[in-house]
Amino acid sequence: FGIQKTKTGRLKKPFVKVEDASHHYRPFYLQLSNIPLINYSVPKPCSPFDLDKTSALQKPTQAKQRNRVGCEAPGPARLRESKKKGYCECCSQKYEALQAHLLSEQHRNFAQSTQYQVVDDIISKLVYDFVESKSGISRRVKRSIGSF
Amino acid sequence: MVMEASLGIQDDQQPLSPMHDQLQTDDSFKKYEQNYKLTGVEKDIEKLYEAVPQLGSVFKIKDKIGEGTFSSVYLATAQLKMGPEEKIALKHLIPTSHPIRIAAELQCLTVAGGQDNVMGVKYCFRKNDHVVIAMPYLEHESFLDILNSLSFQEVREYMFNLFKALRRIHQFGIVHRDVKPSNFLYNRRLKKYALVDFGLAQGTRDTKVELLKLVQSEVQQESCSQNKTHIVMANKVSLNAPAPKELSQSSTKTAVKRPYSHAQIQTKQGKDGKEGSVGLSVQRSVLGERNFNIQSSISHESPAAKLIKQPKLMDITSRKLAAKKKVISTKTVTSNIVRKTASSCPANLTCDCYATDQVCSVCLSRRQQVAPRAGTPGFRAPEVLTKCPNQTTAIDMWSAGVIFLSLLSGRYPFYKASDDLTALAQIMTIRGSRETIQAAKTFGKSVLCSKEVPAQNLRTLCERLRGPPDLAAEKQEDYVHESILSLRTDQKLKLPLQVAPAGRSFEEDGRGGSEAHTSDHRAGLRGWDQVPDEAYDLLDKLLDLNPATRITAQQALMHPFFRDMSL
Repeated sequence: FGIQKTKTGRLKKPFVKVEDASHHYRPFYLQLSNIPLINYSVPKPCSPFDLDKTSALQKPTQAKQRNRVGCEAPGPARLRESKKKGYCECCSQKYEALQAHLLSEQHRNFAQSTQYQVVDDIISKLVYDFVESKSGISRRVKRSIGSF
Repeated sequence: MVMEASLGIQDDQQPLSPMHDQLQTDDSFKKYEQNYKLTGVEKDIEKLYEAVPQLGSVFKIKDKIGEGTFSSVYLATAQLKMGPEEKIALKHLIPTSHPIRIAAELQCLTVAGGQDNVMGVKYCFRKNDHVVIAMPYLEHESFLDILNSLSFQEVREYMFNLFKALRRIHQFGIVHRDVKPSNFLYNRRLKKYALVDFGLAQGTRDTKVELLKLVQSEVQQESCSQNKTHIVMANKVSLNAPAPKELSQSSTKTAVKRPYSHAQIQTKQGKDGKEGSVGLSVQRSVLGERNFNIQSSISHESPAAKLIKQPKLMDITSRKLAAKKKVISTKTVTSNIVRKTASSCPANLTCDCYATDQVCSVCLSRRQQVAPRAGTPGFRAPEVLTKCPNQTTAIDMWSAGVIFLSLLSGRYPFYKASDDLTALAQIMTIRGSRETIQAAKTFGKSVLCSKEVPAQNLRTLCERLRGPPDLAAEKQEDYVHESILSLRTDQKLKLPLQVAPAGRSFEEDGRGGSEAHTSDHRAGLRGWDQVPDEAYDLLDKLLDLNPATRITAQQALMHPFFRDMSL
């Protein structure tokens, strides 16, 4: 959970606070603008906790078109091509741009290492029952795995 | 709902299956959107062929049908040696995945998959860091689209088949961690089901999936370093023989723990102290330290022998060094308590804030507890939301309960929260704050809520949310029931909701989807006018706030709700 503003003192209502019984860890809490309410007037199939749609009157026939607007998760949480930040488990480091990281020397060394033996071991036990053809772009027919 | 890595089409995307094409309204904006997407998809397909050239001679990749944080899924066709051309789902894993994680996901599919509604694997292709898992493709519905047109009988079948899949994986000691509709594929016409995506799976203590033991994420409470990144692993883990039990938990074991990256611990704060929702819905803790092994010798000894030979790769001292090297960039509280180094436990200072509405510099200066929380917020069990370190297969049963809640209430997603505590607050409004607090005590958590909210009666809640039958939704069933002969046009009958008497038995009485061409659309109720008490009893047991007493998959299959269904 994120680091919260560290204001000592009394939490402002309404809030939810959680703390481990061991007293060993930092409590975490949330000060809400309002405690969630079950909203029965939001049209189906939207969540009863959908605050953006306070009344069914705004979109009376909404429920029927394949119109998902309003049922969706909040905007910024969309996965976008452009947002390719992340953490590389192979290199144990964060990266700002996925493609750039994959081309970095460190990652390429890992990619070509024997670390993938554990994957290949499992592959070697699978039964291959596809037919190969020379269709499409002439691609190297290579089922062998890994490059050493 | 956001950022799913699954075989399922994202619920919020346009499904592109032929089934849906018939239903699509000719909407020019949608058309534009699809065309726009297509170019991107075509590029992705081309890139995939380039990354894993072997695919070119086997598959015709048709489309991209899913995209998540850790993978993209494509629809392809291939010719089998025996039999016809087959539709295949190709799952391309993000090349930053650690090989052990990739192998663990594959092993889940090979060990547990292929039966009881658990997705299996046909083959796997690799070139360097690009791994593509080939699986049978199951054409499936979009949960949101069919939610309000399912008959009650179909709901029973859906849940029954979900429990079959969960029982199967739980028998193998797999905790799925991301059970939700988009990871449980459902083909309504064929009555076929498949639980997919083991990308976030973890093993129980006694898991039968050997590699899940190396993908541990329990952050041991007694472990004192702030950044638990002392990972070591064997260069090669051969899987021919299971490691003996007494070794499997030993410290010499080569293991990949999954602590959280800083990025995850320090999620960006939104306003009002909530964490930003970006990147939170599907996160997996990361594999830690780089490999400290020096040599990679491909040997053919038993794993046990190897494990014994393995040098202890990082002793305590080097662990500490490693932990120290990772500087924490959090702005910690400026308290006059001097923190010890990250590698030792801060003094266990107590304060009087516990279970009160207070926080002080003492409790706020303690380190944060880290526990697995991969998954999707609205489907996380209370023990996940409150960072309980020992999570079990019961977390999947909670998620199944949330799906059942959607089916009974006609609402999806049911919970809508971008952070854990909002999700917990929403659970409290359904299950009651006192009840939630009480249960949390049993797993060692103090939960405090400034406002007491009562538990809801599940039947009343679901019936109110479902409201009168939605006749328009049923028109969508045309492809299932070829033609609806007598669809009533007297719009939305306001029918009184009947409360079924307790102990009602399940007579088929021609209702429900058990027959392909049922013409029984009497008043569009299709079983919804007499939902038996058993349904809500089962829901209550799935949404048990106490993981220790929550119903198991095995028990759920035996529940009276499924009285007349055969395993």
